[in-house]
Amino acid sequence: MLKKILPSNIYEILEHKVNLGSINEIRLREDKPIVLLIGGQRIFLGNNGVTSNLKEAIRPSKIMIEDIIFRASECSIYSVNEQLKKGYLVTKGGIRLGIGGDLVEEGGKVKTMTNFSSLNIRLPHEVRNCSLPVFNNLLSEKGIFNTLIISPPGAGKTTFLRDFVCQLSERNYAYNVLVLDERGELDLGSSGSIGNFADKISFARKSIGFENGIRALSPNLIVTDELGQKEDIDAINFAINSGVSILASVHSDSMDSFLRKPNFDSLIKDRVFKRYVLLSMRNGPGTIEGVYNENFSRIM
Amino acid sequence: MKYLLLTALVAISVFVGFIFSKKYKTRANFFQALVMLCQKFDVEINFSRERLKNIFLGLDEKQKRQLQGIDKNYIAYIDQEIPLEKDSLFKSIKFLKEDEKDLIFMFFKNLGRSDVDSQSKEVKNFQARFETLSSNALVENKKYGSLSIKLGIIAGLVIVVLLI
Repeated sequence: MLKKILPSNIYEILEHKVNLGSINEIRLREDKPIVLLIGGQRIFLGNNGVTSNLKEAIRPSKIMIEDIIFRASECSIYSVNEQLKKGYLVTKGGIRLGIGGDLVEEGGKVKTMTNFSSLNIRLPHEVRNCSLPVFNNLLSEKGIFNTLIISPPGAGKTTFLRDFVCQLSERNYAYNVLVLDERGELDLGSSGSIGNFADKISFARKSIGFENGIRALSPNLIVTDELGQKEDIDAINFAINSGVSILASVHSDSMDSFLRKPNFDSLIKDRVFKRYVLLSMRNGPGTIEGVYNENFSRIM
Repeated sequence: MKYLLLTALVAISVFVGFIFSKKYKTRANFFQALVMLCQKFDVEINFSRERLKNIFLGLDEKQKRQLQGIDKNYIAYIDQEIPLEKDSLFKSIKFLKEDEKDLIFMFFKNLGRSDVDSQSKEVKNFQARFETLSSNALVENKKYGSLSIKLGIIAGLVIVVLLI
């Protein structure tokens, strides 16, 4: 998919002069150097591959940025307007484009985004077995503990969730899993990406997705990414009260900062989550810093 | 033998007239198909928000024929097989004037590049212009289409008379 959305000259440099599989992010800003994030390191992209020399860095034009967005929308910007309003766009293969530009408001509501000026292309990776070190810690006698994956942005939350669902499938845990893929990032569309026992609801708000999913698909486990809003917490409570387990993720860089996060007080006080997995980028994305129980005591 | 030759001459004249008349009919059908395409876009963009490629693929066979391959060329552009240029878009189309090509090219060039509201307004704007071209083409077809066949017959008969 990356080949389809990037200008051919940029793609060829990435393919032949940089290890494409090692790239986590590609940042393009109008007339500014292209920056690659590789294994936690930021480096410029030049015509001969990666470079630390600012003068050699390729600088994308506004037209190039607009064209990438146009291509990523499959030549149909209008069809992804709801995503653009939230400042991102997800392609078929799960490549996520964070987009900078001008938000157009009308009557107090965001109507669309125009005048695109920057892009953060995040390349998803299937890191097989990345959840294995903690896999058994998340299983209870009755099923799966309600679990929250805590990590800063780009540290592998989504990859962890995806792999965990896959591991369940590979081990023939025939739980009915509902993947609520609000931003279209969890399922890469490749074979086996979310295993054999998962249903998927994409691009729905958690409040709607949880309610519809529980009623229609009767899952044992709901997997979802990036909790944050009050309505997400209400959706979690709705699921828990319906007897469904939750595996979710949240942005935070430590247990302390997580405990100070707004909206999560009731979940913490009621000990809704029985397991917390803390990820970091210390040794590259996906570094498992620890597993904690509902009392926030470290168990691994 | 002589009569056979004369009959052939009349037939050729009528055929030439028919070719000219077909050009007018094809033009009328083409613009009519463009108008219908705009109507379809407007509905799909506003309601299903279907992607352009799927809209083109979902056209019925008659409409595809009337569009004279322009839909296939545009899909090839979406699939990154060809660049979006006038020559590649109108590859097999000979009956359009330059200003008509410019207008249609502009329409296809702007497709898919804006949000729902702007795209819908843009499509309606082009639709109005295609409607004008379509009614002009219909008038031309009525006027010159049948005239071409008649002229073909007359020309054939004149040649026959002259030869006799």
